[in-house]
Amino acid sequence: MSSTTLPAAPPSAAPVPRATRAITPARLLPWLLLTPSLVVLVVVTGYPLVRMLWLSVHEYERAQLLGVPAPFVGLDNYVATLTDARFWAVTARSFAFMLVCVTLTITVGTLVALLLMRLGRVMRLVLSIGLLLAWAMPPLAAMLVWGWIFDTQYGVVNHLLTSLTGADWMGHSWLISPLSFFTVAALVIVWGAIPFVAFTLYAGFTQIPGEVLEAAQLDGASARQRFFGVQVPYVRTIYVVLIVLSMIWDLKVFTQIFVLQGIGGVKSQTSTLGVYIYEMGMAQGHYGAASAIAVIFTIIMLAISAYYVRATITEEQL
Amino acid sequence: MKILRFGAVGLAAALTLTACSGGGDAGTGDATGGAQGAEIRVWLVGTDTPDEAREYLKSTFEEENPGSTLTIEEQSWTGLVDKLTTALSSSDSPDVVEVGNTQAATFTSAGYFAPLDDIAQDLGGDDLLPGFVKAGTWEDTFYAAPYYAGSRIVFYSEQVLGSTPVPTTLDEYVATATSLRTADRSGLWFPGQDWYNALPFVWENGGFIAEPGDDGTWEAGFSSPGGIAGLRQVQDLMTNASNAPKDGDEAELQVPFCAGQTTFLSAPNWIRWSIQAPADAETPGCADTFGADLHAFPLPGATAGETAKVFAGGSNVAVATRSANVDLAKKALTIMLSEEYQTILAENSMIPARISLASALPDDEFTQASAAAAANAELTPATPKWGDVEAQKVIQDALVQIAQGGDVETIAAELDATIESILNG
Amino acid sequence: MSLAPAGAAPTAVAPSPPPRTAAVVRRRPARRTAASVGWGVVAALLAAAFAFPVYWMVNTSLLPTNLISGPELHLWPDQLTLRNYDTAIFRQERSPFLPALGNSLQVTFLVLVASMVLAFFASLAVTRFRFRGRKAFVLSILVIQMVPGEAMMISVFQLVDSWRLLNTVIALGVVYLAGVLPFTIWTLRGFVNGVPVELEEAAMIDGCSRPRAFWKVTFPLLAPGLVATGVFAFLQAWNEFMMALIIMTRPESMTLPVWLRTFQQATKSTDWGALMAGSVLVAVPVVVFFLIVQGRMTGGLVSGAVKG
Repeated sequence: MSSTTLPAAPPSAAPVPRATRAITPARLLPWLLLTPSLVVLVVVTGYPLVRMLWLSVHEYERAQLLGVPAPFVGLDNYVATLTDARFWAVTARSFAFMLVCVTLTITVGTLVALLLMRLGRVMRLVLSIGLLLAWAMPPLAAMLVWGWIFDTQYGVVNHLLTSLTGADWMGHSWLISPLSFFTVAALVIVWGAIPFVAFTLYAGFTQIPGEVLEAAQLDGASARQRFFGVQVPYVRTIYVVLIVLSMIWDLKVFTQIFVLQGIGGVKSQTSTLGVYIYEMGMAQGHYGAASAIAVIFTIIMLAISAYYVRATITEEQL
Repeated sequence: MKILRFGAVGLAAALTLTACSGGGDAGTGDATGGAQGAEIRVWLVGTDTPDEAREYLKSTFEEENPGSTLTIEEQSWTGLVDKLTTALSSSDSPDVVEVGNTQAATFTSAGYFAPLDDIAQDLGGDDLLPGFVKAGTWEDTFYAAPYYAGSRIVFYSEQVLGSTPVPTTLDEYVATATSLRTADRSGLWFPGQDWYNALPFVWENGGFIAEPGDDGTWEAGFSSPGGIAGLRQVQDLMTNASNAPKDGDEAELQVPFCAGQTTFLSAPNWIRWSIQAPADAETPGCADTFGADLHAFPLPGATAGETAKVFAGGSNVAVATRSANVDLAKKALTIMLSEEYQTILAENSMIPARISLASALPDDEFTQASAAAAANAELTPATPKWGDVEAQKVIQDALVQIAQGGDVETIAAELDATIESILNG
Repeated sequence: MSLAPAGAAPTAVAPSPPPRTAAVVRRRPARRTAASVGWGVVAALLAAAFAFPVYWMVNTSLLPTNLISGPELHLWPDQLTLRNYDTAIFRQERSPFLPALGNSLQVTFLVLVASMVLAFFASLAVTRFRFRGRKAFVLSILVIQMVPGEAMMISVFQLVDSWRLLNTVIALGVVYLAGVLPFTIWTLRGFVNGVPVELEEAAMIDGCSRPRAFWKVTFPLLAPGLVATGVFAFLQAWNEFMMALIIMTRPESMTLPVWLRTFQQATKSTDWGALMAGSVLVAVPVVVFFLIVQGRMTGGLVSGAVKG
């Protein structure tokens, strides 16, 4: 652990007269810096992670929490999961939902960012405040508010639709059909995610030197060409990070679906992976099975983010 | 998840099912011994236990056990099983906990509760509600004592029902509710997820939830002929008699009633207080309008003069295995089952755990109706895996589909398959 | 129009070098006004759409209960009352607001400070040094973020229990810290990369020690990155609900999200007015925090991301 190789070290590691003190030799310094994080991560994340693998090959139920020995079951939990139609339904549903949410988030986020670029100071402030308020809403509070807005009996949406269309929308349930449920869920999630994406992209766009865009304009590039030819390439890394993060977050979405299911909706038709794992483990006490699902899920996640992981490895010169 | 609490009266004795352990009446246990200076934590769920009872429990316990304190911590029914699972397995376990009667088996079967056989007589012995004793017993060991019980009754306001006669059979009830429905007013308020109110129709038509076969495997009965007939009645009511949300649950029931949106309302009898609250109260009721001439009757059975089998809701109380002071916790539990304490519950319209205290229930129309209903109460299947069925909301999900006009036979078959796979899994 | 089909965007968009042509001509077209009015209207509508749920929450919280669940729609609080706030703050005898606020503030402060310090150290280690295990560390903090946390809850709970630290702010704080560190280290790494190492060298030539150079030179330049990661840590600690529910089992150790959940009793009628008032109370500190750091936040997110 303590061995450090410094050939490729940045110039700073080169002998600097008074920097090297006996107590903190330069080669120990990185480890000193890393230790606090490492301790926290190894203990609070690493151990449960290893234990998750262990649980996934054992029959671990509520009784085991009280100290009853857990029987080893080999790959039974994995086989049961992979042959369970519900697991595949949940997986397919989660991915479809993630794709929709990420596409919407990035698309609308980009449009909002471009709009922010065009606005004058006052209107930009107004829009920023609107976005900021949405961003700052705690998810639990936000879900309760959205549930109230879409409430079957007294929700403002049904009130407004009734007075706008003349048809009777009172009593219309928005969460009862899975499609409608996920439309509401997507709306809520995208609403909460757009501010981050829009602000980040906006900041990225503003870093593009004005001359570059104006030059492109002089060359006769249309707005569309300028966007794809200049702006997007400039902030390409931001897009990669935003898309990867959105994919991870939307695939792991828990609070929104969980709370929305509590308000209405058919549980068996609306569970996503995070909720499914929770139901299996914490709610029903099948901790071994839930762990197996989580392991499979992680492998799938790694597979789809392989591009990003590989890019990272290259960047880190592995 | 939600267990109907409060109910009515009397005749609780008639909560069917076999009686439990026999034995005579031993004297009340010793008052000394046990750790001194300990803190006993009691988890009560929801706001149902009246303040008077809480105060009695605390003061009595601290008087009888000088130096020790008792703290009541209120929990929520939402997510209760999840939280109990972790808390009861931890080093900081509460000492005495309340659980819904249908949730008890989840914990008794996994060793979460301390055996109570040694104090069974102090707790009431044969005087305890037998159905709830059974719910708290696992493999012949008594783990969770009954706490209180309740059942649902049908409310109506005379000014709304008018001259229409009160139905005397279940078919009449369905017909009356359907005929009374208008665009603005339901005949019966029947939200799609309200499975407690759907079960009586299944039972009255000869159906069942699930029964163990000879080889111990469970067979679900929603797709039995009786089950199908019952679910058809439910669908008929939900689509033709009710304007309630098809995916709504049984919360806030006094609101549609007070808004004049329904003629009949099947609900726990405690809701009477909500309905008859003043219109400007914190949780507003309608004491001056629809609550002014409020009446209630037990759900009628298949034949006139009988009451329907209804769902027996209620709670059990138990001592945690991991409690640091099991002996003290048992003393607290004994107080909760004592005559004085249970009388307080009875006076607040909750069916007491001790059959002999039924006489303490208030003598009003609502309590009478509850008593009549409770006399014919049924329980959910006695298996620890039943908790999973409730956790997955499988019955609610099926009912929501039925409420939307789905094909009853298909839905019932799928429902049975799901229930069987859980119970036999 | 799909500007960025998920997953495809990074590869599909060829990084064609931006055309850098001749001299820059500054022109201000006169047709701006009409267009800018149009965009202004769009922006106003959009702002209203984003803010609407927040407005509706505040509106509901200020209305008397009997108007909330009534047939009439009240688009603004025409019968203003603070009673819901009174209910939320003072009438919840069994789950009081102030202790929950205190717990949330403590745990959030703890996570905020600790995560920034630890992530700063760790990101220095992985960007400024080459040592064996560095790449493994960087890869693992990426992979950790993909594991669904719901599956680890039970083990984390048992771990905390084995330390006899249930119902303590410190335990919940450490759990949250472990949850946010992978992301904060990952993000801050990009920011540190963005600070030219030459600046540190210059300071060292002037006689600073290495750690002192980090502290005096690099740390101040990281302000935007620290704000960005701080926001993330703040939101996680302030909003997390599930771990708080099982770790903080005693009423006096509840955090705000758990407190908020007690408003929704499954069998008791939901008091929408009080629930919305409670939601406002939970949201206000976040909004205040955002307003404080707002200026520094957005710019910061990018430079990290661009370099990351």
